[in-house]
Amino acid sequence: MLASLDSANASQAPVTHFPAEHRALSIERFSLAYAGKPALRELSLDVPRHRVTAFIGPSGCGKSTLLRAINRLHDLNESVEHSGRIELEGQDIYAPRTNVTELRRRVGMVFQTPNPFPMSIYENVAFGLRLQHRLPKRQRDDIIEWALTSAALWDEVKDRLHRSAWQLSGGQQQRLVIARTLAVQPDVLLLDEPASALDPISTLKIEELIRNLKSQLTLILVTHNMQQAARVSDYTAFMHGGELVEYGTTDQVFTNPRLQRTENYITGRMT
Amino acid sequence: MRRQFTASSLRLLDRLWPWLCAASVALSLLMLTALLSLLLVRGLGHFWPATLEEVTLRSGEVVTGEAIRETSLPQEAGAERLYFTGNRDVSGANWRWLALDDIVQRTTPEALVRLERTPWGDFIGRLVGIDAEGEQLEGQPAWEYLTAALALPASQRPSGELVLATADGQILRQPLASISHATAPNAMTWWQKTSAWGQRVWQFLSEGPRAANTSGGVWPAIFGTLLMVILMSVIVTPFGVLAAIYLNEIAHQNRLTRLVRIGVRNLAGVPSIVYGVFGLGVFVYGIGGSLDSWFFSNTLPSPTFGTGGLLWASLTLALLTLPVVIVATEEGLARIPDAQREGAVALGATRLEMLMRIVLPMAVPAMLTGVILAVARAAGEVAPLMLVGVAKLAPQMPVDGEFPYLHLERKFMHLGYHLFDTAFHGEDVQAAMPLVYATALLLVLIVLVLNLTAIFLRHYFRRQRGNEC
Amino acid sequence: MIPPRAPVSHQPLRQLKNRIATGLITAGGIGVLLAILAIGVFLVWETLPLLGLDQTFALVKLSPLAWGTLKAALAAMLFALPIALGAAMYSALFMSARLRSRIKPALEMMEAIPGVVIGFIAGLVLAPWVERHLASTLVVLVWLPLSAGLAGVLWHLLSSRLRQGLPLSWAGLWLVPWLAGMLMLALWLAPLLETMLPGGDLRQWLEQRWGLDYATRNALVVGIAMGFAVIPSIYALAEDALADVPHALMEGAQALGASRWQALWKVALPAAGPSIFSAVMIGAGRAVGETMIVLMASGNTALFSASPFEGMRSMAAAIAIELPEASPGGLTYRYLILAALVLFIFTFLVNTLAEMVRLRMRRRYQKAGRY
Repeated sequence: MLASLDSANASQAPVTHFPAEHRALSIERFSLAYAGKPALRELSLDVPRHRVTAFIGPSGCGKSTLLRAINRLHDLNESVEHSGRIELEGQDIYAPRTNVTELRRRVGMVFQTPNPFPMSIYENVAFGLRLQHRLPKRQRDDIIEWALTSAALWDEVKDRLHRSAWQLSGGQQQRLVIARTLAVQPDVLLLDEPASALDPISTLKIEELIRNLKSQLTLILVTHNMQQAARVSDYTAFMHGGELVEYGTTDQVFTNPRLQRTENYITGRMT
Repeated sequence: MRRQFTASSLRLLDRLWPWLCAASVALSLLMLTALLSLLLVRGLGHFWPATLEEVTLRSGEVVTGEAIRETSLPQEAGAERLYFTGNRDVSGANWRWLALDDIVQRTTPEALVRLERTPWGDFIGRLVGIDAEGEQLEGQPAWEYLTAALALPASQRPSGELVLATADGQILRQPLASISHATAPNAMTWWQKTSAWGQRVWQFLSEGPRAANTSGGVWPAIFGTLLMVILMSVIVTPFGVLAAIYLNEIAHQNRLTRLVRIGVRNLAGVPSIVYGVFGLGVFVYGIGGSLDSWFFSNTLPSPTFGTGGLLWASLTLALLTLPVVIVATEEGLARIPDAQREGAVALGATRLEMLMRIVLPMAVPAMLTGVILAVARAAGEVAPLMLVGVAKLAPQMPVDGEFPYLHLERKFMHLGYHLFDTAFHGEDVQAAMPLVYATALLLVLIVLVLNLTAIFLRHYFRRQRGNEC
Repeated sequence: MIPPRAPVSHQPLRQLKNRIATGLITAGGIGVLLAILAIGVFLVWETLPLLGLDQTFALVKLSPLAWGTLKAALAAMLFALPIALGAAMYSALFMSARLRSRIKPALEMMEAIPGVVIGFIAGLVLAPWVERHLASTLVVLVWLPLSAGLAGVLWHLLSSRLRQGLPLSWAGLWLVPWLAGMLMLALWLAPLLETMLPGGDLRQWLEQRWGLDYATRNALVVGIAMGFAVIPSIYALAEDALADVPHALMEGAQALGASRWQALWKVALPAAGPSIFSAVMIGAGRAVGETMIVLMASGNTALFSASPFEGMRSMAAAIAIELPEASPGGLTYRYLILAALVLFIFTFLVNTLAEMVRLRMRRRYQKAGRY
């Protein structure tokens, strides 16, 4: 069914909306200002379920800001104001009754630089689990093994689960962070330039992981690396100056951009 | 011509001023080492069993004592030597200046003994014999009996009387019970002296002061200092950490927080005596006075909490060291990358969970450093204590077997104040000087060790973090 | 093999706990900050009743104390400033990095030595010694800086092999024995110099010629002792300030042909000037508020005298001595609290000013370093 959606969207005019049964996340006229300075202006787009959607654009275009807004990480900063709606599976995440911690469990986030906690590998993955549930050890071990396997890290660390996570390499650390996020079984995974601090081989591993994970959840990838967006994502949104410029299937945006601005950016004439 | 002169003097200046600057560093180091070695030599040297001299004067008079120092007299009138002669009960004074020209002969007979007595201070002279429980001993057996008796605990010692002879032949009788230590330093081998030195250092650390602070030890002062500092840390740690967490993690980061932060930092520079004034006015007279009128009115007008005491001193010093703990903890919190906080929050942790599980464990070394620095500052601080609670000689220890065991209202002894008091208000400052040196050395050592620990901790954790990141 | 999603438990409790804890921390934090503020409020409150009274008593009571405080602080600064700033310049500009990493903590250790210990040494060891050897003390004070210059002159006359063995960058260390030797020389020479005076006794001569009384515990002793205590704090801050000046600035000036001296005066000092000023202010704040050293080394006589050989009584010392005996609420009690308020306001203002200057300078250099 989704495949038909993809082919249907391939040729048509501006896609920003999907039928309700396909959209994991729906953003409507969302604006955000940081200390009075607008960072996002009237953004509207839908993110399809079980697909990889890439946000691209020059630095400062607001792609990371949008990502953090989906996780309500801006709550930690008082000087941020916003308007408009973001709906996760039909529920407004900024509604007063929303439970923010539960939202953040459902929307996992992976940051630019790996940030494992200063504890063992096992404890890192167990961190989110311990917050949510009291599980018997057997069950928790199973989930941790599953999460590490999903993040393609299990084979590398299964013998040293109780060593410090800070001893892992950068790429391993980033996959550990992904495993840590998977362990609480989120619906959406936000990736904020997850490979920008890594070497090429680690980057390839992360990209492969992203492609494999979309069978389990919805992924949103922010990247400034065009090739990476082209390799990994199904849909691509090009943002500039806090506005959504163009949104469509990755094929269409990269091979046949509708707007000159998009083409300039993709071909490297504008940075 | 004139230009040439200024140019050459400028060149000279350019060459010489680095040397003046270098000499400043050298001078500071020199002063520091001089101070520390003075304290070390005088403080530790006092415990070495000093040689006792028997000096024959031109007049035929014989004096026994320990040579202390020499000074030259004005107008080239020769030099004098100061002797500690003891025997205040016989001669009326502990000290005697002897002109070098008057001295005919100096000998060090092995039979000279030095006894520490509870009234009258030290005795220096010869042991003639002992009358003990009907037995009469003389000479070497008497000495052996005496040392054996003194080795027993005070309650098991036999009763008896010593027969002592001073240098000029006077005989006096002294009950055995009044003697606390006896040495015959001239007869001791080097090894015996060393072990006696160790024993006396231990006595200094473990016994109470005797003879108006001129002998004995400083244990009550060590204990009082420790207890006060521990109470202070128990008070200051939670509050300091709480304030730091509030400032760094919860408060809106705006101009006001920045001002508060500068204010807190600067309170560390406010003179300690001002905190003492606050402690006296608010804790002692204000809160203590009210407590007295509510709960202890039956003992008024003699105050219970309305006077300086352990609790008020700890509170005052806690307030004094609060900025130290807040600043150190805040530094630690600020050094934790935001990525750690965001990582925890992004996994669905509440702010409390993020603080308790991620942020605080990472900030523990900084807090520890702060508390150690606070303790180091408090241990050396005397001025505020003069207002809120130390005593020259506390009649009761602040901890004893009587309910409620810890007596927060009692006065207590403090190393720093003990040092000040013995050095400036003692009866016989000259006699107390060696102990004052030893006390000063002890205080400096405690403070330096605490500071070094803090520096080491800070370096160690910084390096560890640097490796791991 | 996705495991079944475990039921989410104890959610409301977590939220509640979080709210309560945040509230408690906020309350506690604000409470602590208010408690600190209470110091100022208390001091002002206790001195308010003085406002309506005749102020002549205040003048009589407080002005000798204010004078004593200033005199003590001034004496300490006269001794400490040249040494602290010289040491800061040397360790920021010339010292080898390895030596610096050792010396800096050692000098900072100086700050930790309790005031009561310094006061004891000053009052009971230094003061009697200076009284007996006044001439030697004065000779040493003049001779030591001269001997440092002499060391520089001799060093330039040395062969280059020897110079490499005794580099300037380690001079802070190897000058220690030199200075100790020069000290001995001065102590040996001073009595000879003193005999050349009419009467052969400096103290008598001072009294007859200039009418100067000599007190055992006097401003000279206080200056040396408290100067010793203040050196490390001035040194540490001034050193940081000088080390913050970008190296490129100094090197640039020297590349343009300026001597090191000119580079220091024209480039480093103007750049680091405000921060050094704030270091000096913080040192002065410490000197004004220091209690135990003045109490033990000054003799505590409330005099109006500018003579360096006479004692004084500072505000802090007066508070320590008189406040425990003053009856609460009485006039003396209130005046002593007024003295404490003056100390509080003075040190607080001085430190705030210094801190703001320091922060501003730091920001400026961070910018300069970046662009």
